[in-house]
Amino acid sequence: MDRRNFVKLVGTASGGAVTGACGRQAEEIIPLLVPEESVPVGVEQWHPSVCGECSAACGTLARVMASEREIEVDGELVRQKIAAVKKLEGNPLDPVSGGRLCARGHASLQSLYNPDRLRSPMKRVGPRASGQFEAVSWDDAIAEAARALAAADPGRILFLARARGGVRSENIARFLDAIGAPPATSIGVGDFAAEREASTRVFGRSGLPLYEIQDSTLVLSIGADFLGGWASPVLYSRRYGHMRQGRRELRGRLIHAESRLSLTAWNADRWLPVWPGGELALALAIGQVLLSEQIADAPASVVSIFAGVDLEQAAAAAGVPVEAIRQTASELVQASAPVVVAGASMVRQNSADAVAAASALNWLLGCVGKPGGVIPPTETLSLPARQSAFSGDWPERLGQAAVVLVDGVNPAYNAPESQSALAGAETVISFSPFLDDTSAFADLILPDHDPLEQALLEVPAVSPAPSFAAAGEFVAPLYDSRPTATVLSQLAETAERPFEELTVGQAVSTLRSAVGSAGSETSASDFEAEVLRDGGWQGQPSGKPPATPDAVGAFEIASKQEGVVFQAYESPQFGSGSGANRPWLQELPDPTSSALWGLPVEVDPATAAGLGLANGDNVRIRSEHGALEAPVYVNPAAIPGVVSMALGQGHASYGRYASGRGANPMVVVGDARDERTGCPAMGPTPISIEKIAGGARLVQFSRQDRDLPPHRV
Amino acid sequence: MAEQATQQAEQGAERTPQWAMAIDLDRCTGCEACVVACASENNVPTAGEDQAAMGRTKHWIRIDRYYEGEFPDIKVKYRPVMCQQCDEAPCEPVCPVNATYQNAEGLNVQIYNRCIGTRYCANNCPYTVRFFNWFAPEWAEPLNLQLNPDVSIRPSGVVEKCTFCAHKIKRAKLDADADGRDLADGDVQPACVQSCPAEAMVFGDMSDADSKVARQLGSGRAGQLLESLGTKPRVFYLEKAD
Repeated sequence: MDRRNFVKLVGTASGGAVTGACGRQAEEIIPLLVPEESVPVGVEQWHPSVCGECSAACGTLARVMASEREIEVDGELVRQKIAAVKKLEGNPLDPVSGGRLCARGHASLQSLYNPDRLRSPMKRVGPRASGQFEAVSWDDAIAEAARALAAADPGRILFLARARGGVRSENIARFLDAIGAPPATSIGVGDFAAEREASTRVFGRSGLPLYEIQDSTLVLSIGADFLGGWASPVLYSRRYGHMRQGRRELRGRLIHAESRLSLTAWNADRWLPVWPGGELALALAIGQVLLSEQIADAPASVVSIFAGVDLEQAAAAAGVPVEAIRQTASELVQASAPVVVAGASMVRQNSADAVAAASALNWLLGCVGKPGGVIPPTETLSLPARQSAFSGDWPERLGQAAVVLVDGVNPAYNAPESQSALAGAETVISFSPFLDDTSAFADLILPDHDPLEQALLEVPAVSPAPSFAAAGEFVAPLYDSRPTATVLSQLAETAERPFEELTVGQAVSTLRSAVGSAGSETSASDFEAEVLRDGGWQGQPSGKPPATPDAVGAFEIASKQEGVVFQAYESPQFGSGSGANRPWLQELPDPTSSALWGLPVEVDPATAAGLGLANGDNVRIRSEHGALEAPVYVNPAAIPGVVSMALGQGHASYGRYASGRGANPMVVVGDARDERTGCPAMGPTPISIEKIAGGARLVQFSRQDRDLPPHRV
Repeated sequence: MAEQATQQAEQGAERTPQWAMAIDLDRCTGCEACVVACASENNVPTAGEDQAAMGRTKHWIRIDRYYEGEFPDIKVKYRPVMCQQCDEAPCEPVCPVNATYQNAEGLNVQIYNRCIGTRYCANNCPYTVRFFNWFAPEWAEPLNLQLNPDVSIRPSGVVEKCTFCAHKIKRAKLDADADGRDLADGDVQPACVQSCPAEAMVFGDMSDADSKVARQLGSGRAGQLLESLGTKPRVFYLEKAD
């Protein structure tokens, strides 16, 4: 679906369910011997929706067509005509996706139609994490959950949610206000707590800065795998494509610094392999060299953080040669439109500082607020859409909680050490549509609708303009699930602490008042209809000049860890692990290892040779936190001594495609956190590694790592 | 074929589009969005772990990736590879029942009901982009609801492959007819092209000199995969500019 066709389509579209199929081509009967090109095409409708796979919140279009399914009515199987979603594409009117979509976004269709979705509320009947549940009615489930909430000290109610801004998070906030409980917190996965904290220090406002890489001539990214899933992968992929080949006679260059050859490193003109945790030292070293060059008038608070840096010491801590640092700094100075993209795709114990130092390089380069530079976060939209903030003390609060409510996060998988607290909590209530690692600990599971089955309004983590993506309802729910906002409203009412549930329509009306459409000829209902028809709204960038920072802070460079270390990372297809129950993603080759239906431990060739390891051999990896066993992939691009493993497999419970498959790397990483924000770190963790007999097999799409010469093109 | 179409255009006859694709490797990030978009659009089934271990997965489009050099001076070379829709297709003459042939628009068309499963075509394809169905595809309910009714479900015993989203070409033609106009450049977007976040792929009529794909072929960076074999693919790769 391109912009032209979608605009034409929405002009004539009538909402509601699909009314027929194959009308236009009904006269054609498929003969026995026809080429594919002659098969008649059916009637389709396209409805805006919002992708919920990551915090990018891409606006999407769902292709809806008539379909049918078998359901049981009074003990008999009958066929029911339904409107079914056939495909997801990007919404061309959405400023984030621009009509494009990533692999995870496409595969979110397999969340809607996942065979392991819960069909109704469930009540635990066996021990925690045993997976023994029985179906209960919504009335009984809500009554029981409300009883637990009423009996609990409100201060000991803990709501774990995704860090998203939108109508859903606003309703969670209203619910918690009504029952007198503390605000919800995310668990620090995929919510960019380090980046937000750093932005507050460097740009004076919390949020994710917008990198204008499409207009840059040289991009240096430090720790931000922006093509592989960081922040907003579709938006930045679009911008990357433009940077490379979207301008006449001008091709932007990319230097990428990260501790693994990520997708962004694949695409870089030069990769700077940084020792895990050395990103801060690298940023400081580059800044130190920049100070000696003719550079822009940078704020004194920024200059001071780089002034006293010992270049040799910083380079050694980063594991990057001084000469490579000098060359990078020199190229940045010479570039007409440079920018430094600062992120923590893999959170370290010093990530907030590392991101702050890397972000501050942009002040030295004079590219803050400039074309091709970085736009600091702007003010938030005038929307009732409070975001669930990250609170670093959630593990401690979990250990003391009377009632734990879990929505959209999976602490038992992403923070395995939280399992003992989940096992010991008085009451655990989950809103997951799946029996996943965490909902297996729940006393009650109150399954949410799939995102495609409900009205949504989500504010993207980063957008070229103040914007949100929104969707109305367009397909009927498949099962006896309920939207979580509605369930929260019913829970509060049963507990005699009611609140007013915010609808998407009400949120849009608030926006209309705020942006000044109230006095125009567009009525409130027309404005809402327009927003839902287009799949969202976008305003104008504020254009406010950036504020110079008062104090960015002092930084300490830790020396490089010795020995073999381990790091976990989010892969492009599985994200933080939530993609593992989609068969399309399980059968999508892992970019690094080409593995299917499993993820290996990636070991560098020298370490592998020392241990006598070849592809497919199994190893046991131990740290002080735990151990895992997995097959090995000898990664020719791995930094010697750095063992990596993607998140995705190792779910104790997550349906037929993911349960019991592979190992969870977070078991080895343990509970280290970013020291400033408390955000869970993903390494580096000292480990020992040993070869073991037997074990899981490594299935690869391609076992060939090297091309056979000659290969034209 | 392309020359013939150009002649037609010059003579004022209704032009038969000559479909081609250009993939800009300087834009492509290797993210595999195209791979899932293709599976979703074309009802490409998953094989499961056991069949995958026997090399029986079906990826109508894949990302070939190769490491070059040694750490730290190591690079990854990668490219999306699908049926190259060759003008001199090695798969076609070996089919004993004419189940695959090149149509007037340059597509290598596969007729599933005519295929008897000799697999000669798949063996003869230098790009390994043809897949034999050892079993009938299955989708655990309700995953079957995701299936695209515009694309047939291929039975066991036949070979399948990328069609350049022939059904989308047909839909675009019907839409243009309904609007009373000719097909315009960009009307047809196969699923991979439509999805590509970096906008690395362009599809269109290469016999139309004004089409985006034709302009890209003239960019000086265009080449073909295994060009020396003389298969004359309709998929062109624009080399990285570094």
